[in-house]
Amino acid sequence: MEAEISTVLARARQGDSEAFRTLVERHSRSAFRLAFRMTGNEHDAEDVVQDSFLRAYRQLARFESRAHFGTWLHRIVANCSVDLLRARRSRQDYVRAEDLDAIVEQPSEDAAGPERLARSAEIDRFVAGALAQLSPLERAAFTLRHYEGRSIAEISKTLGLNTSAAKHSVFRAVRKLRAALAPIRSES
Amino acid sequence: MKHYSEEDLILHYYGEAERWSTGAGRRRRRQDIEQHVDECPTCADVYRSLVGTLRQLETSEVPERGEQYGLEVWQRIRARLPEPEAPWWAQWLRWNRLAAVAGIAMLVVAAFVGGRSWPTAENPVPPAASAPSTSAQAAPPADGRQRILLTSVAEHLDRSERVLTDIMNTTNGGDISTEQGWAEDLVSASRLYRQEAVDVGEQSVASVLDELERNLLEVVHSPSRITAAQLDDVRRRIDAAALLFKVRVLGDELRQRELAMPSAVPHARALTSHIS
Repeated sequence: MEAEISTVLARARQGDSEAFRTLVERHSRSAFRLAFRMTGNEHDAEDVVQDSFLRAYRQLARFESRAHFGTWLHRIVANCSVDLLRARRSRQDYVRAEDLDAIVEQPSEDAAGPERLARSAEIDRFVAGALAQLSPLERAAFTLRHYEGRSIAEISKTLGLNTSAAKHSVFRAVRKLRAALAPIRSES
Repeated sequence: MKHYSEEDLILHYYGEAERWSTGAGRRRRRQDIEQHVDECPTCADVYRSLVGTLRQLETSEVPERGEQYGLEVWQRIRARLPEPEAPWWAQWLRWNRLAAVAGIAMLVVAAFVGGRSWPTAENPVPPAASAPSTSAQAAPPADGRQRILLTSVAEHLDRSERVLTDIMNTTNGGDISTEQGWAEDLVSASRLYRQEAVDVGEQSVASVLDELERNLLEVVHSPSRITAAQLDDVRRRIDAAALLFKVRVLGDELRQRELAMPSAVPHARALTSHIS
């Protein structure tokens, strides 16, 4: 298996697009999961996945064969996501604090059945809104730490930050999320 | 009783408290925090709230993608695959890049030599102003360097304009590999001219060159057999940046400035041919 992957990678690095296709088919789903966690939006995640593979194909010569392709690709996905979040922020296209307040103010008592499901969906939206309020780097660092289980040292390498900056991005993200989610936590 | 900070508790939650602590107690960090949280109601409250928040975040779900998703992604990107970058050593060994580097090196040397031997009699400095100023003494080399840059960039812009016009007028879709080859050569030269423009303080020239470089890169990185839609995209970006207009205006302006300068450097044009 290991030898087969090495052969595929070597062929892809020589410009064999069919070999690259194998890599795309093998890694797309995990790339999408990470991109969705980072962007919180299916459409954006799809764009990030495609851009990441195009970037990876162009930069295959820089890939060190000793490294794991999935890890290298995730680094590209994380950075493409940060770029997209920055662009999105510059368009002010993110959930505003008032939107979160509106969700919290909805009544929750005696909720059951379909109403409860609706409420649960609302909470999901609330969580998504809280995540959308993080800066692109905070969100990326938090996603890598919380959902991908990466260590601070790995996060710093992935995002090109020093370890202190990576650590503090995670701290700031958690602090902001605690504050943003406090209303629904106190309700539940 | 010494309380643990929120940061300590976050690291503890993620199992990294030991890694980031220092001093003698490093190895026992995890047990120390656990014990402290058990005994201290304040820290226990903070930790409970922290864990509650982080667990709440774990419930958010990612939309599932089927087994065929990888194939779908491949279908969407296969027509857009760019040229892979050559390894770094191969990039440096490409003849056009070596020629461009050699050309720029000659340009810098010529600017220096030209500046040193610039005929000061043609443009005599008033005695009062010529006295102690070191910047006045340094001016001639910079002047010669700037003149050569103006000439070179004006010609570079002419060539770029021709390539961009070709792209704008090419029939919808088809093979643009020839234009891509020209654009690739221009990108290397453009990058060097831009650096030179920054060095001599020609910010507006550097800014147009930067924009030109980005658009040329778009052309280079497009598929050689481009579809009508992809070509439209490239054209739209060139149009949106009013790039052809800027390139023409700047080219004219540089030629005007070159003519307005006291005298031409006889070998400037010869030098630019090294770079092209």
